[in-house]
Amino acid sequence: MTQTLSTDSRERAFPPAPSRRDSIHRQRDAHGRRSMAVLPIHYPKEILTALDILAVEVWGPPGPPRGEAAGRIQSYVCAVVRNALAFLASGGADAVDGVLFPHTCDSLQGLATQATDLGGWGKAAFVFQHPRGGERPSARRFALEELRSLARELEAWTGRSLSPELLAAAIRLHDEIDSCRASLLDGRARLPIGDPELYALLRRGEWLWPEEHLAELRSAVGRLGPEPAQTGLPLLVTGYVPEPMSLLATLNDAGAFVAADDYAAVGRRVVRRNGVADADPWTDLVSRHLAYPPCPTRGIDQAARMRHLVSLAEASGARGVLVHVQKFCEPELFDVPAILAAFTARGLPVLVLEGELERSLSGQAETRVEAFVELLRARGRAA
Amino acid sequence: MLRRIQYELSGHLVGPALLRAKEWRRRRSRRGLAPKAGPFGPPLESARKLKELMSLHYLQGRFADGAVPVAWVTSGFPVELLRPLGFFTLYPENHAAMCGVARTVPELSDAVEKEGYSRDLCSYARTDLGCVATGKTPAGRLPKPDLLACCTNICQTVLYWYKALARRFGVPLVLIDTPFVYGEAKPHHVAYVREQLEELVSVAERVSGRRVDPQEFVAVIARAKEGSRLWGECLATARSRPAPWTGFDGFFHMAPIVALRGSEACNAYYRLLLDELRDRVARGTGGIREERHRLLWDNLPMWFAVRELSTLFAEQGFNFVCTSYTNAWAEAGVLVDPADPYGSIARAYTHIILNQDLTNRLGILRRLARDYACDGAVLHSDRSCKPYSIGQVDLKDRLGEELGIRVLLLEADHNDPRAWAAEPGENRIAAFMESFG
Repeated sequence: MTQTLSTDSRERAFPPAPSRRDSIHRQRDAHGRRSMAVLPIHYPKEILTALDILAVEVWGPPGPPRGEAAGRIQSYVCAVVRNALAFLASGGADAVDGVLFPHTCDSLQGLATQATDLGGWGKAAFVFQHPRGGERPSARRFALEELRSLARELEAWTGRSLSPELLAAAIRLHDEIDSCRASLLDGRARLPIGDPELYALLRRGEWLWPEEHLAELRSAVGRLGPEPAQTGLPLLVTGYVPEPMSLLATLNDAGAFVAADDYAAVGRRVVRRNGVADADPWTDLVSRHLAYPPCPTRGIDQAARMRHLVSLAEASGARGVLVHVQKFCEPELFDVPAILAAFTARGLPVLVLEGELERSLSGQAETRVEAFVELLRARGRAA
Repeated sequence: MLRRIQYELSGHLVGPALLRAKEWRRRRSRRGLAPKAGPFGPPLESARKLKELMSLHYLQGRFADGAVPVAWVTSGFPVELLRPLGFFTLYPENHAAMCGVARTVPELSDAVEKEGYSRDLCSYARTDLGCVATGKTPAGRLPKPDLLACCTNICQTVLYWYKALARRFGVPLVLIDTPFVYGEAKPHHVAYVREQLEELVSVAERVSGRRVDPQEFVAVIARAKEGSRLWGECLATARSRPAPWTGFDGFFHMAPIVALRGSEACNAYYRLLLDELRDRVARGTGGIREERHRLLWDNLPMWFAVRELSTLFAEQGFNFVCTSYTNAWAEAGVLVDPADPYGSIARAYTHIILNQDLTNRLGILRRLARDYACDGAVLHSDRSCKPYSIGQVDLKDRLGEELGIRVLLLEADHNDPRAWAAEPGENRIAAFMESFG
């Protein structure tokens, strides 16, 4: 039976990284940096980095919502938003100095106003709105103004000044981070580590200071070999966030691996610019933000997204597609029929797995994943 | 040419004649029958005209594609820019509500759930996509769009929904992306919307093969503003005690301001309605026979259960005298200024209730409750409408504490009856009404 690396060997490949809380305290104590909780998905991390603000992303957190505010958002709203309000209101994010709400969807938009206007978050709060509908002259101008507006607010908050040089340096840093992430994702089959470890590494970028994260990424890129190191069945995975992370171990244990990634939290935030940069850092920042892979939350048309997904599948040799969505997540759920149609037409089986940000994968979900991989393997044998 | 003749005849000659004949047959069949006894006041005479107006609109729509350019439009879209280009506009939300009233949503939704659409998605969207997939509609037939026109001021859902329509129909989708407003919109937010309006014009002109006549554009804007004012005056008549109609009536009578905004037919209808409502106020005729308590409704109605719910409340003397939903179409028009068409439209359509923060929403609910002398409120926690529903748990507490009124949070759905647990829901309503003593 084909297998990827065992869980034990995956665990040992990288030294333990600091937790979110450790990272916040370390950056504050050693560098005097402020920290900011950031809700999903897309935001100008470059500006935060340039202003010495540590971004600590909040994807939920997983598990049932806890605390007195747990019932303040109805149960038919996605767990990311319900959990986030409960988390913020119960003091779970008290270690940070502020919060940034990107206007990703209706629910996160609602959270932004509920937490700040009706109680739940008393510290500094900022919002970021990105243009929807793809590249248009109006979108470009709006993105520029919105980025500048956020930067002015953050300058006032931190008391620091954002020079063009600082911003350009931050953009270069994040370009390099993305370049490493792209190398790891694109060369996934040649990387001799398991999915849980790879995703743990990639997701540490959600709270590590970018330079620390880059060092880790460079080290991982150094491990890319010339030949395939993964022998499992290659899959394309698309979805919101790889939670519970145990899904990845289940995939590996069943004999498959994530050969192509389109998670909103991971692959959809990797910009591939091939070193092309505009001389003006603000214009360059706009270009960077408009260059993200197609994401439904940004209003990109379905045809463009399907083309992107098909190209990911083809480039990676994916033998099946796992659509891993969060219940009640409208941006993702509305694209599911198009994904089903696109891949069914190409003869690639698709498994739609719906979750609610659980701490661990349910037995039923495990069985479905295992059965799906078994189905793919049987198809491979028959072919 | 034939198609155009059919379109014009259905709208101006054959259609009106058919509807008059239908009405004549209805009256004839009811001749000699005593009016039904019930908790409601005398029915609004205007309701017949409303039915005729909307039926004619949908009847004409059957022949619109191929005769005139057709746009499918979200309810919050600045339609004033499309009218001078001769578009026939179809409002999928309005049409989905018709399907909700006709209780065909489960069947339509099932059809698209088979394609992979989740039942957790907006039931308007599922209804509309179901109509497209099956061709089934209470309107007989829907014209195929040449253009899809979407504005995110009511929700982001419409964007995902219209992207799916764009993939299906292969026609251009124009988007007006309205940044969410905290307090007042920032200047660059309004500038962004304004610039998109200008971008929209070029696409719409290309699709329609016509150019926007600036004078006609201004005239449409003036009519839309007037329509909004008239609608607001109709709603305001319910400040009288007893209110001359019910908030549930308002849900149906809002159809022209949603679907025919900017047209003379819309304004003529609201003049008629306003005259009748004022007459009822003068004569002390209420929307329900015995108005003992006055309520505020927040969020969309439950289209499939309007009759049952309104009867349940009316039987106990409870009248919904105002709703935040119908009020939204009265407020947007205030900001429109024919002297600054693009700028004022950009401001007006950005400052829609659902595109503003919860502080603003609380302020609107507070004001409505006070202006209409409400002693209670029902907040419809609508599974299908996240932007309208998030925050309602807190709004319920705030309204109760600040105004000293009783507030009920009622979980249901605006279009899918499968999400409404009728028996427990009606028990909660009964307990709520009993609490008034």
